[in-house]
Amino acid sequence: MKTKEERKETFQNLLVPELGALFRTALRMTRNREDAEDLMQETIAKAFAAFDRFEEGTNFRAWIFKILTNTFINNYYRVRDKQKLPSLDEMEEETAFQPAFEGATPEEALLNTLTREDIIKAIESIPLEFRTVVVLTLVEGFSYKETAEILEIPIGTVMSRLHRGRKLLQKALWEYSNQKNTEKENGREWTVKKS
Amino acid sequence: MDCKEIVEKMYLYLDHEILTEEERRAFEEHLALCRQCCQKYEFERQLWSLIRQNGLGDPIPETLLNRLQQVIASF
Repeated sequence: MKTKEERKETFQNLLVPELGALFRTALRMTRNREDAEDLMQETIAKAFAAFDRFEEGTNFRAWIFKILTNTFINNYYRVRDKQKLPSLDEMEEETAFQPAFEGATPEEALLNTLTREDIIKAIESIPLEFRTVVVLTLVEGFSYKETAEILEIPIGTVMSRLHRGRKLLQKALWEYSNQKNTEKENGREWTVKKS
Repeated sequence: MDCKEIVEKMYLYLDHEILTEEERRAFEEHLALCRQCCQKYEFERQLWSLIRQNGLGDPIPETLLNRLQQVIASF
């Protein structure tokens, strides 16, 4: 039987390497720093309180992410945050490609114009159920199976949410990129007219 | 594997998920021969890699680390 101090040390050793990933995920879920910081504190307090039930040698990373996502849903996710779920048609609808800058394909233009700000804005724009799956698998690198365990949903649901999440994310990114290209085009016209 | 199957399996391949060794080989052989699928794959690969790299920013602030250390010390 471990003493309290030994338990604390084991907990800390397992926790510290995950802090960065937990914080990023908390930020993407809450979409604001203050709530993300409170969510982190609450998650860690809950995890330590439940640490007796954690079986050493099993997946600590998935275990603590499960506590984070549950804490978020129970304590932070308010009705006012609920976003209208887009219809399947809206998700499948392709965004029309604007003519990109000369010599580049629309895909190259997209990859070249996107900034970190666009990417974070796009991730945070998608409804929570898709966003969580996108963040856990595509950003944090959890497998579909681990994501299913963390969110306590079937693996098939992870796959369909991920598919839709990807579509929504791409749609948002194309829109930002098209917007930038249009602004650039308008700027060019303005310069030509002025001269 | 034909172009339709490539599109269906592309995300599984990109996510390193549940393709058998045989499927993986068939996927790669098709990409090597089909320019259209190869371009689509390259775009998807670069896009998701860009999203991952950017999503991994946001280092944890020092103030939060100190606050969490205090929480742990209080256990």
